[in-house]
Parts: sequence; structure tokens; C-alpha cells
Amino acid sequence: MLAYVIRRLLLMIPTFIGILIINFAVLRLQGPTLVEQMQVTGGMGEGATAGGGDRKVQGAAKDVENYLDRFRRSGNDLPAILNLRGFYNTADYARWLRDTVANGRHQDKPSARNKLEKELWLAGPQAVAPLVALVADEANADIHALAVQALTYCAYITLNPRDLSGLPASELQRIQQRNETLRNNRILHTNTREAGVTVVDPKAAEKRAVLLALFAEPQIQAEYAARSGGALSAMVFNTGFVDFMVKLATLDLYSESRKEYVFTVIADRWSITFWLNTIAILIAWAVSIPLGIRSARRIGTLEDRTTTTTLFLAWSMPSMFLGTLLLYHLCTDTAASKAWFPNRGLSSDGAMWFPTGAYLLDLLWHAFLPLVVLSYASFTALSRYMRANLLEQLDADYVRTARAKGCSDDTVVYGHASRNSLITMITLGSGLLAELFSGALIVELIFSIPGLGWLMLEAAVERDAPLLMGSTVISVSLLLVGILIADLLYAVADPRIRSRYV
Amino acid sequence: MSDVPAPPRLQSPGQLAWERFIARGSSRFGMVVMGLIVSVGIYAPFLSNELALVWWDKNGLSFPAFADLFNRRSYQKPHDLFFNVTALLLPPLLIIQWLVRQHVRISRRILGMVGIVVAVGLLCWAPFIPGKNGWTAAWDHRPFVEQNIQTWRELPPDSRPLAVFAPVKHRFDATYPGAVLQSPGTHNPLTGGTYWLGTDAGGHDVLTHLFFGARISLTVGLVATGLAFFIGIIIGAVSGYFGGWIDILLQRMVEIMMCFPTFILILTVVAMLDRDIFIIMVVIGLTGWAGVARLVRGEFLSHSVRDYVVAAEALGLPKWRIMFRHIMPNAIAPLIISATFGIAGSVGAESGLAFVGLGDPTTPSWGVLMEQGRQNIRYPWLIYTPGLAIFIIVMTLNLLGNNLREAIDPKNHR
Repeated sequence: MLAYVIRRLLLMIPTFIGILIINFAVLRLQGPTLVEQMQVTGGMGEGATAGGGDRKVQGAAKDVENYLDRFRRSGNDLPAILNLRGFYNTADYARWLRDTVANGRHQDKPSARNKLEKELWLAGPQAVAPLVALVADEANADIHALAVQALTYCAYITLNPRDLSGLPASELQRIQQRNETLRNNRILHTNTREAGVTVVDPKAAEKRAVLLALFAEPQIQAEYAARSGGALSAMVFNTGFVDFMVKLATLDLYSESRKEYVFTVIADRWSITFWLNTIAILIAWAVSIPLGIRSARRIGTLEDRTTTTTLFLAWSMPSMFLGTLLLYHLCTDTAASKAWFPNRGLSSDGAMWFPTGAYLLDLLWHAFLPLVVLSYASFTALSRYMRANLLEQLDADYVRTARAKGCSDDTVVYGHASRNSLITMITLGSGLLAELFSGALIVELIFSIPGLGWLMLEAAVERDAPLLMGSTVISVSLLLVGILIADLLYAVADPRIRSRYV
Repeated sequence: MSDVPAPPRLQSPGQLAWERFIARGSSRFGMVVMGLIVSVGIYAPFLSNELALVWWDKNGLSFPAFADLFNRRSYQKPHDLFFNVTALLLPPLLIIQWLVRQHVRISRRILGMVGIVVAVGLLCWAPFIPGKNGWTAAWDHRPFVEQNIQTWRELPPDSRPLAVFAPVKHRFDATYPGAVLQSPGTHNPLTGGTYWLGTDAGGHDVLTHLFFGARISLTVGLVATGLAFFIGIIIGAVSGYFGGWIDILLQRMVEIMMCFPTFILILTVVAMLDRDIFIIMVVIGLTGWAGVARLVRGEFLSHSVRDYVVAAEALGLPKWRIMFRHIMPNAIAPLIISATFGIAGSVGAESGLAFVGLGDPTTPSWGVLMEQGRQNIRYPWLIYTPGLAIFIIVMTLNLLGNNLREAIDPKNHR
């Protein structure tokens, strides 16, 4: 039996990894890139020509830093599976910066120049040392302004909410101060295809000296070196995929739209969905199994045909249609009468002050229609399966044998046939655990129940990939656990499987 | 000699299954309903249009609605052009296939018709269509403004040209001023038509929306299911025929896809990408192939050891030929059944997606209409109309799939 369980568990590992890979791929589809996002605000900072001035540049720098924060928190600043940034040297960065100048710019779309430049900004601590060397070298005076700009963004340190509460105050202050210094020491310049980089900042030399002095401190050099890691280990470990896995494992996925960690958000919302789905599934199974058995035993009768036809029609009826119909007919006040059921939420205003009995009644009153729609969606399919399966079993030879030896009809159905259709039912039930977590998207939307389904919808509308990924991972893990339990139950229900592994 | 009995009529399993299928009343009913939905989809521009079908004035006879069929300003989505091409090509193609029915097999006739429609449809999107100003100009302008019902009604009665109009006098892409959320039966003063099923929150006619929504549902069903089957058949066939480590690898992939909560995956991907109806179709297709692959693999596993396959291998036929010309035709029956359910499933998925607000807002899909119904809960025609439409198409497809299964599967003759 243990061998059987271990075998099943081992088979699940590649599946789970595959799912994580797909999740990561979807995460990488995420919304606008840094270039596109910054076009919306128009804040580049670098275009601060004559009219601009320091204040405007600093505001624009803040914008860029906000975007960098978002990118670093989601891990989208890192290359997907192979990080080669550690192998770039000063000459490579110099070429990169000269390319950005040579690539010109268009008025209306993110140009090649913009894109190259922003990718450089995302390079992070790994680019700090070569960029400092580049700025220190007088031979690169033509691109010093661009290099300083890139350096300040690469050296900028993103503070996560967890850092804000976890780091000691002095350390926090030091980092914030350094970020401030970096922001204030960017050299104002213009950058066109014809003229190249033109420095318009009177204090350019001063600012460069400040930055060089800052990065000359061995303590800071060591800090950035520690952050970037060695080139070889960073190649494998400092990548988007590893970052995603680490964030998943340490429950660090961060939802930008909610300014909250993903699993905190989910933990706040999931109890409603859990209870609603548990009750709905219980109802669905309690109705569908007897219905299927009854229908199969009375095959060909008027009752069976009526049940089958009704179930077929109900099966084809989308639950969104039924839900909206119920919402319109039973939950909407009309001129003639007041609605029978409430149309949103799971409790009335001030329900927390009700006595227990009244509170439960209120809950039932609110949850009744959602439960109906939820359970209806699965019981039609379930009882069709049950009927078809039982019919197949009742045709089998062993049933004829049982009848021939004089078993009563009930014994045949409940003792022999339904025991064999248990296998199919276990297969159907293997998805239940996952369903408890996420089965109710449409129903929660229709009846405005603030559960997980609704949360996922909002996340989808806000393009909040980490939140969606977090819930997908939970739901897939639950599904895998469900499949494992189902496998164990097969062994319990089916002696053939048991004997093979014991 | 005359009393030699006539040889018994030989029937292939396919013919037998077809006879069993069509013998049932519900199958015939389902076929008729599907035929109606398809015809409504194909002929939607003639059922509901502001342009005159026929317009006869002193300049001569013209057919603006027909000419408009190939106007890319009017029909911006590719599937609309395909349906328009089909609308014109279908009658002659049907006549031709009836004429050659003695000489060509039914499968070839159907394939030929589909092929011609697809080829001409693709041609419409090719950049080299002749026109007055260069090659594409004729397809990119919108000329027939003066030949629609609004101008016809503004003319004094005695100088109106002879014209024939569509039964519903609204355009699918037009919003009518003051026509937001009008109840069924309201009169439209601009076109003289009636909103038989009311209007939606954007001022579109719901009936017109319904006609053109049939096009979306059919396209989604066919494209998404087609894609899922294309991927599923290839993966399943390779997996089942070759076996070994390829099989193990591909089975892991299938298992991964089976484990995903499909609707949430579709939701996520669609949320991340543009909300374009074709992206939605492709995503639904890409997430739906796992079941097909599993089915095909099972069939191929059982067939790959049969005598006829061994014989084909002994003849030295190439592997792809054995897979797709020898085994595939024997494995096609369960696939047809599964495709019928698959189409129903994709239609449901698309409308579900539109219902939760992630549909393509620029297309007149039934799910989009239903979402408006949810948000404007006091306007029941926005719930009943699309809801019943979705219900009917899903139910009909399920019914056909059910009957096909019972007809094809010899075990299941109840």
C-alpha cells in the first residue's frame, strides 16, 4: 500500500512542476511593459530640457521608481530562465548606451532606443559595478549623462512592505537616504539622434563626483556585490522562474492592485466560498445519487423518461442564465410586490447584532438561491453519470448471476452494482476538493457574494497576475491532493488494485 | 432466372449509424434547429439591414446590401467576411454538389464546399483585391449611405425609388439615438422599424444583435473546437502510436492540462492579453485539447496492434500515412461525438467569459448581451433573449451528440 502511495506521489511531481511552468509563462504575459507603462504617464525625466528643471525631473524619477518597484516586486525585471547580465562588462554597457543613442526615437511609439534604455534600467544591482567604472572613465564622457541615469535606477533599492516592517529603522533610513541621493544626482540632458546626448545641467560635474564618491565606499560596493551574487550563480538562480518559485514557496507573491500579499488576500476571502461550496456539494450529491439510482432501476418507465429529459434540459441550461433569471424574478423589487430574496451579499445590514437563531435564518435566506444555482450545476451532470454507470453495471454478467442465485432486487442494486459504480463516483469526486476552493465564479458574481470567485474576477479585470497565479496554484494543489485521495479510495473500493500493491 | 434474389444491400457501419441516428425524431429536430441557427448566422445581413436589398431608381437597378457584404468598413471582423462569402457561395455550391452527387463521394463533396468557402474567404483578406483606386480601395469604403431606409423615408412619397428592404430594419453596428434600453415592440422613428426584442444598454437592436451573435457563437465553436482537436489529435496519435518515452512525456503534458482549472486559466490569459474575440477562441482551443488527446490515444493504442496496421507496416508505408490514413478513419466515430459536445462547451465558455465581463466588447456576442442583462436587471429581455439563444444552441448540440453516441456505440441501443 505504501509503495502504491509513493508511486502516485512521484507521478504527481512532474505534473506539479509542469503546472508551475505554465503558471510562470502566464505570469510573463502580464500587461504592459516598462516602456508602455511609462508612456502613459509620459514621465521619462530625461526629456527635461530648458523648461524642465530639477523639480520636474525628480517627479519623473519618482514615477520611474514606482514602476521599477512594481517590476521588481513581481520579478518581471529578471530574465525568464537564464540571466547573463553578470557577464556584461564596462565595454558592453558602453556599447549598449551608444546603441540607445544611435537608435533614434519616434514621436508616437516606444522606439528601439526607449526599449533598450529601459531594459538597461531593469538590470539592477548586477549593472552597478560596471556602470560605476563607466562613469569613472573619462573616455566615455559622451555618454556619462546616460550612464549616470542608468546607474541611479540600477542602484535604486526597492523596499517591499515586508522590508518596511522587518528591517531595523537605521538600516531603512540609510537605504532611503541613498535612494534620495541617487534621485537628486541625475544629470539633466537631452538626447536626440542628430546631436546625441547633450548635457544641459550646470551642476553635471558636481553630481558625477558625488555619485563616484558614494560608490567608492567599499561598504556599498560590497553591498551591491552581495545583492547581485556571482555571475555564474546569478545566471541560474537570479532568474524570473527561480524568483517566482521562491516567492511561491515563501508565500511572498505580492498583489499590486491590492497592495497586499496574495495569500493574505486569499486567506481573508476563502471561508465564504468554502462553506458555500461544501453545502452545495453535499446537496448535489445527496440529490443526484438517489435520483440516478432510481432512474436507472425504473428504466423505460414514464418516470425515468421524464427525469432523463428534465435532467438533460437542465444540464444544457447555463448556470449564468438560471442565476440571472432567479435574480430577476425573485430578487428584484417590482411595482407590484417586494422581492422574495435579497439580491446581494450573504447577510443583512447589522446582522452581526442579531441573536444566533435570527442570524442563521438570515444567512439561510441570503444563501438559498446561490446554493440552488451552485448545486444544480453539478447535480444534473452527476445524476446522468450515476444513471449511465449503474445501467452499465446492471447489464453485466455478475448481476445476472446474482439475480439467478436469488438475490433480491435491492441486494443486487445496493450490494453488487452500486459498489462497482463507486469507482466512477470516486473519479468524479476527485475534483471536489478543488471545487471547494474555486467553483463558484459566476454564482458569486450574480449574487454579489464577496468570495474567492469574485476576487479572481476582480483580479482578472485588474490584470493582477500574481493574485490569479496564487489562487490557481492553490486550486491545482488541492486538485492533486484530491486525485491522491481518490487513488487511495480506489484501492479501498477495488480489491484488484489493492491486491496488486499489497 | 428472374427469381434470383436481389443481393442484400451492403451497408457500412457509418451508414448504419447514420440510419439509426436519423431514425430518431429528436435527431431530426436537432438537425433542423442547428440548420436554422446556421442559416440565420449566414444570412444575418439579409435578415437585418438598413441598406436596401434591391434599389431601383432612375440611375438603374442596384443591390446595395449585397455589395456591402464585402465592405471592410462595415464588416470589420474576419469571421463576418467568411460568413458573407458563404452567404453568396452557398446556393451555387449546394446546386453543384447536388449535380455531382452520383460521381463524387459525400465526404469529398463536403470537403470541397468547405475548401472553396475558406479559400474565397481568405482571398477577401488578401491585399490584392481589385478596385477603382488601386487594388484594395473598393473593399475599404462605405458607399451605400444614400441607399438605406433612412434616406428612403426622407424622400417625398411620390419620388421614392422602388426598393426592397430586409425584414428587420436595423444595422448591427448602428446605435440609434434615444434607443437605450427600449422595451420590445418600441417603434424606431429613424428607420420606421420596430425593436421586436427591445434594445440594449448601448442602443443596439437586440434582435439584430441576436442574428449576428449566432455568427460569433458558431465561429467560436468551430475555431476553438477545431484548434483543440487539431492539437489533441496530433498529440494523442503520436502518443498512442509510438508509445515508449514519447508517450510518457506527452501523457504528463495531458495530465498537466487536465489538472488546470480551465475556466480560470482562460480567464487569466484573456485578462493578460487583448480582449479580442479571436484571442478568446484560440485560448479556449488551447486549453481544451487534453480530453481529445486522451481519447485519440486510447483509440490508437487499441488499433496499433490490429492486423490491418501490422499489414500496413509490413508494406513499408510511412508512419504518418499509417497513422492518419489507416488508423484515423477507424477512430473517427468517438471524435465526432466528442466534437459535438466540444462545440457546445466552447460556446458556453465564450458566453461565460463575456458574462463575467471579459468578452470582446466590440462584437455582438450573446454573452455580452447577457452581461448587460445582469447589470440592468430590470430589463428582462436582455436576460431571456440571449439566455434562451445560448440554451437552445447548447441543448441542440448536446442532443445531437447524445443521439450520435447512441447511434454509433453498438453497446448502447436503448
